[in-house]
Amino acid sequence: MRITILNGEPGVASAFEDYLSEVARRLAASRNAVTTLNLRDIDLKGCSGCFGCWVKTPGECVKRDDSAQICRAAIGADLLLLASPITMGFTTALLKRAADQMIGLLHPDFMIEGGEVHHRARYSHYPKFGLLLGAGSDSDAEDIEITTAMWTRMARNMKSSMVFTAVSDRSAKEVANEIALVA
Amino acid sequence: MKSLLLLNGSPRGERSNSMKMLARVAEGWERGGGSRPETFHLARKADFDRAVAAFAGTDVVLLGMPLYTDSMPGLVKTYIEALVPRVAVAREGGVNPTLGFLVQSGFPEALHSRPLERYLEKLARRLGSTYAGTIVRGGGESLQMMPDEANKKLWARLRVLGEQLARAGRFGEEELKTIAGTERFSALTAALLSLAAKLPVVQFYWNMKLKKNGAWERRFAAPYGPAFRL
Repeated sequence: MRITILNGEPGVASAFEDYLSEVARRLAASRNAVTTLNLRDIDLKGCSGCFGCWVKTPGECVKRDDSAQICRAAIGADLLLLASPITMGFTTALLKRAADQMIGLLHPDFMIEGGEVHHRARYSHYPKFGLLLGAGSDSDAEDIEITTAMWTRMARNMKSSMVFTAVSDRSAKEVANEIALVA
Repeated sequence: MKSLLLLNGSPRGERSNSMKMLARVAEGWERGGGSRPETFHLARKADFDRAVAAFAGTDVVLLGMPLYTDSMPGLVKTYIEALVPRVAVAREGGVNPTLGFLVQSGFPEALHSRPLERYLEKLARRLGSTYAGTIVRGGGESLQMMPDEANKKLWARLRVLGEQLARAGRFGEEELKTIAGTERFSALTAALLSLAAKLPVVQFYWNMKLKKNGAWERRFAAPYGPAFRL
């Protein structure tokens, strides 16, 4: 299985970073092709809502940055694992900025899907979504639930589904096993 | 007179749909007896820093934003993270301003914005702030297509909400419900829309832009994997 991890941890030295490394190591050891993108090291200019990726250079951001790397790794994966500590009740701004630049993975045309308005697919395949969250002392079960709800909506708009949410208070071994089962 | 900090969280800045809507809420706020609001566009670096500094010194903050990939834009999350010290202030008994929000999206139904609304309500609680409510409105991109005069009803409703914020300290539930419009389409409407979506006229806006930019032939380009085919 091809797994792309978008790592939204801003710091190099953190408990979540160590935890995520251990999950990734275990996934790779069980014969998955794991690509980890540490977003803190990637040049992202951020989405400015110009819709150039829809109407000027279809499918590609008009900005000269590394967002193509993220889009390519996402579309090429079976599972897109969104990994981030919870801060102020949600995943980090770093991860959200990366997600904002993924809008070009869809086509601008509207369509009805499941009774809701969504955008048309641009690709024949989209990865399943998974969430790996680092819970701290300032987050609670409600934060996890709300965070999951927002990313589940994105998964749905990306022609996909959220297949699991895991929180770092469980062992890396247990979480890696669960990912292998659901993905 | 109460003070209002108007924060435009749109990455498009001053010319955004969010700002067009916020400006009308601000007009209502003044009509309701509030003082002239101070406005910052978070997309401008200098404004961003000033908006962080100004948070603590105002009575009410109104933060507006477009829905980006089903939550707040990364820019707005960056601003929220800059408010971490204010959580500690609230825990130690300090006071944070009343918080109100505006979320506008390109989707016509309100349901797409509801998870973000839940987050914003929790954010107000996290900061120990009084929650004034969240204005949810779909079809935001249509504001770019139509002249301002064509949206008189919408502007009037936004002014009423601004007035309510000034007079009562929160948005009225009925007015929020009215402005949100359709929550979810009925099965019949969805079926009709599904048929209508196949008509080129329905996709006119994007098609026009693609053609104008000479990108029409490449509209189904799929640079990172196998393309979807109908």
